[in-house]
Amino acid sequence: MVPDYNENEGEREAVSLKAANRSLVAVSPLLPVSTSGLRAWFYLVWLSWRRQARSQQMVWIAVGLLLFSVSLVAIFTARGAWSMRYWRWPYRQGPTYMQWADEVQLLASLPDASAEGQGVQAALAASVRGIILYSGFPIFSHWIVFLLFLSFLVPLFNLSFATEALGGERESNSLIWLLSRPLPRPAIYLAKFAALLPWTIGLTLGGFVLLCLVGGRSGVLALRLYWPSVLAATLAFSSLFYFMGATFRRPAVAAIVYAFFLEVIFGNMPGYLKRISIGFYARCMMFDAAGDFGVQPERPEIFLPVDGATALVVLLGLTVILLGIGTVVFSRAQYHEVV
Amino acid sequence: MPDLLDSPNSGRGDRPLTALSVGRDPKESGEDNRSLTVAVPTPLLLCQRVSKWYGPVIGVNQVTLELRSGITGLVGSNGAGKSTLMRLITGQLRPDLGSIEIRGHDAWSTAARRHVGYCPELDSFYEEMSGRQFVEAMARLCGYPRRVAIDRAAFALERVGMAGRAERRVRGYSKGMRQRIKLAQALLHDPELLVLDEPLSGIDPVGRDEFVRLFRDLASMGKCLLISSHELEELEKLTDHLAIMAHGRIAAVGTVAQIRDRLDNHPLLIRIDVKRNSPGDNDSANDERRRLAAGLLKLNDVVGVELLDARSEDAVDPVLVRARNPQRFFQELTRLVLEEWYEIARLETLDDSTSAVLGYLLRGRSA
Amino acid sequence: MGESLNRAATPELLHYRPWRGEFRTPAASVWPIARVALMSIFQKWMFWIIYILGLLIFLLFFFGQYLLSWAETQAGESDVQLGGWGRMNPRHLIALFRGFLKLDGSAESYRGFFAYQGYIVMIVLALAGSILIGNDLRFGSLPYYLSKPLSRWHYLLGKGLAVAVFINLMTTLPAVVLFAQWGVLESWEYLFERFDLLLGILGYGLVLTVTLTVLLLATATWLRRTVPLIMMWTTLFFFCRLLSAAMVDGLRFSPRWRLIDLWNSTSLIGAACLGLDLETIRPGNQPPWYEAALALGGVSLLCLTYLIHRIRGVEIVR
Repeated sequence: MVPDYNENEGEREAVSLKAANRSLVAVSPLLPVSTSGLRAWFYLVWLSWRRQARSQQMVWIAVGLLLFSVSLVAIFTARGAWSMRYWRWPYRQGPTYMQWADEVQLLASLPDASAEGQGVQAALAASVRGIILYSGFPIFSHWIVFLLFLSFLVPLFNLSFATEALGGERESNSLIWLLSRPLPRPAIYLAKFAALLPWTIGLTLGGFVLLCLVGGRSGVLALRLYWPSVLAATLAFSSLFYFMGATFRRPAVAAIVYAFFLEVIFGNMPGYLKRISIGFYARCMMFDAAGDFGVQPERPEIFLPVDGATALVVLLGLTVILLGIGTVVFSRAQYHEVV
Repeated sequence: MPDLLDSPNSGRGDRPLTALSVGRDPKESGEDNRSLTVAVPTPLLLCQRVSKWYGPVIGVNQVTLELRSGITGLVGSNGAGKSTLMRLITGQLRPDLGSIEIRGHDAWSTAARRHVGYCPELDSFYEEMSGRQFVEAMARLCGYPRRVAIDRAAFALERVGMAGRAERRVRGYSKGMRQRIKLAQALLHDPELLVLDEPLSGIDPVGRDEFVRLFRDLASMGKCLLISSHELEELEKLTDHLAIMAHGRIAAVGTVAQIRDRLDNHPLLIRIDVKRNSPGDNDSANDERRRLAAGLLKLNDVVGVELLDARSEDAVDPVLVRARNPQRFFQELTRLVLEEWYEIARLETLDDSTSAVLGYLLRGRSA
Repeated sequence: MGESLNRAATPELLHYRPWRGEFRTPAASVWPIARVALMSIFQKWMFWIIYILGLLIFLLFFFGQYLLSWAETQAGESDVQLGGWGRMNPRHLIALFRGFLKLDGSAESYRGFFAYQGYIVMIVLALAGSILIGNDLRFGSLPYYLSKPLSRWHYLLGKGLAVAVFINLMTTLPAVVLFAQWGVLESWEYLFERFDLLLGILGYGLVLTVTLTVLLLATATWLRRTVPLIMMWTTLFFFCRLLSAAMVDGLRFSPRWRLIDLWNSTSLIGAACLGLDLETIRPGNQPPWYEAALALGGVSLLCLTYLIHRIRGVEIVR
């Protein structure tokens, strides 16, 4: 990927060494040494990864937000919120759902009811109890995974770190130090992307693991079923927002327009328009994985989901394509503000 | 203004003629150049008719430049196009027209950057690092192994006089220290061509002398340095190979003396607007104008005077003067105007580039 | 003229002459600061793209009202067949649509418009905050302002005024246009009879302007950089909205939890300004408007306290 560039290097070093003997000014007193593009590339990955942490406010807000969400979920879990057991009907006033189920059970045991009637009512009560007891996973999926995590935390973590990767360098005018090194531009683009992934994957996937682990049984099931889609969505979002960093002068603003306006509008449109939103495919993967557990789109005839495998292919394909386009754009771009 | 660039001897006495040949297409070069082109097949830096636009504004206009060794000073006022030219040479920008080659490689390519050390004008670093960490990081990005990078960084820091002060964070550095760090990173990979954008700005006089010595030593090692500045005197101390840039063009090239000589022989075009005494009274206006023209023609350096057609709605009458030896001409013109009391509404040099070159030379002489 | 002068006299050269006018009070600097800020945003093409996106919702309302009025003029007297469901008079059908879509010049229509503008207003303000205040703080242009004889309050007021203009450009102004459009389309009397609606719209705009301006000034002064500002801003307006929905609608917690959604709180106060009942507001289960006012007032006060603290400090804004 990155060619070595040690041609004539030894020779030049030798000349420089001779010159050093002649004059006080020698650039290096060392013996001939070869340089390696690959070594430089790996160093750039490490350097970029480390420099992402310099934006301390960003890291602190991200970690703070994650910890806040995890604490909330932990509190909800402790209060048994992942079940309809304590829901009331009428809303917040009447008996709880479980009390209603008990009432049905009670009715069934009345002596004057017929045997068939008793049987049907008992079956009904048992199924209602079952639904109530196992309602935790769909509730957790819908409100925590789909709504809070996938609609907000995943795009936000990705957009902040991915736009900052190149956008931050551009904003602080330090991109020139990379562009004036003898490194191919595509290699610089890919290195910074490689350095970005530990941050975004760490925050989204790591955050998801934490969120699910404190979510009790429903959370553990969600983790087992949903982690591939979280990973795939992270890759796609990262490559998209990173590409925006190479393209726009204010990538973070362009990214929120996409993440919190276009994704919302497209995502709620009927028909096929929503298929240009990354969140749609991530959701499809999740619906496909959790279909057996009662998690499905509210109105499949409007949502028009694709199957999980297709969604995965689309997300990974999108990652590769956006990375490719970004590499080309970055390789040809002239960053006036950095020079 | 081609005659300013038509240098019969574009080199300086003590070094090869082809060390510098600026302002014309090398393909059309003279006999002397050809003979040396055989000796050194590819020039270190070759810009051919390079132009660069920023939207509707032209940054660099048809610049042709060839460098082989030694120190070349690039001088011009702010906005003259020096930095843009340097960005083009270091592959940060791409020319819209023309080509730039470094040792035969396109300046945009990675191969070209291996031959170039660039000290940019802008003043931003990885501020959270210490000076040493920054230079080491730059060395490692050149592909050196860790130990080698550390040694090279240490050596480069020593060369720029930062060895004892490199442990502090860049954030707290003075302007001069920042310049030194920028220079150190440019020297790291032992490049043949050093492109230094305003390297002396913000440096104290002692530091300047150190830098001048360092640049001379680098040049004596066979490095080629292209150094920009907007102060002519500063560069005159360092080299007498100068290229003066104005309005995106290389307006003049050679030693200061050569440029002055050529400028003296180059008739300058000046427009003088004489204020009309009473509007509408064309006769008296013509009198005034003719009186000035007659006075001008008596001056030694005036080659010709032309009375331009005046628009009746303007209260001025324009006169076009061609004069040699601008400095003497302007002194005499001032005397003439004050003695004879002409009311001059406007005085304008019509050749912008010449005007700019002249500005530099006059300032240099008066200093 | 030249003839009349003594030619040997020293020529009259240009001299520096101090300005002899009267200085105005520092308060007069507020509008110029705002004007410069506005111009700096208007020069960004990104702003115009976002603004056009924001206008989409306005256009939807504008042409929706227009279309239904036009349809009314085109409708005949005879009933139309509604698929297999029976027949209906087209005028009744249009009236039904108007009521259903809230494109009827009613208070609900304006409340809906303001509420829908929430997302895009948040995005514009994130952009404005990072450019108007963040840039001054980060790139050191603040000393240019503060070196003039004006205080930091004037600077903040100027910037706040610019923010207020953006907020109103996207909310109050289009709502007033919708109000006027309904008057023109339906009857002139509407403009006078429902003057209370116009006051309601202006009241709603005022609530948005004050709270969002103070909040933006405080967050931008605190965070300075674009990305952290955007993170905080989206957290306040998107995360809190989703969280409150999850807690109240999903997990059946108390409707008071909706108070953490600041946009919803402005919507509740706006609804009160427009004279709407709590029951008409969707999603349901809302806290009363005075609780929302208390929450918003608290947040605004907190932000103001922070600003005062920063302004009194040695460096507001390094």
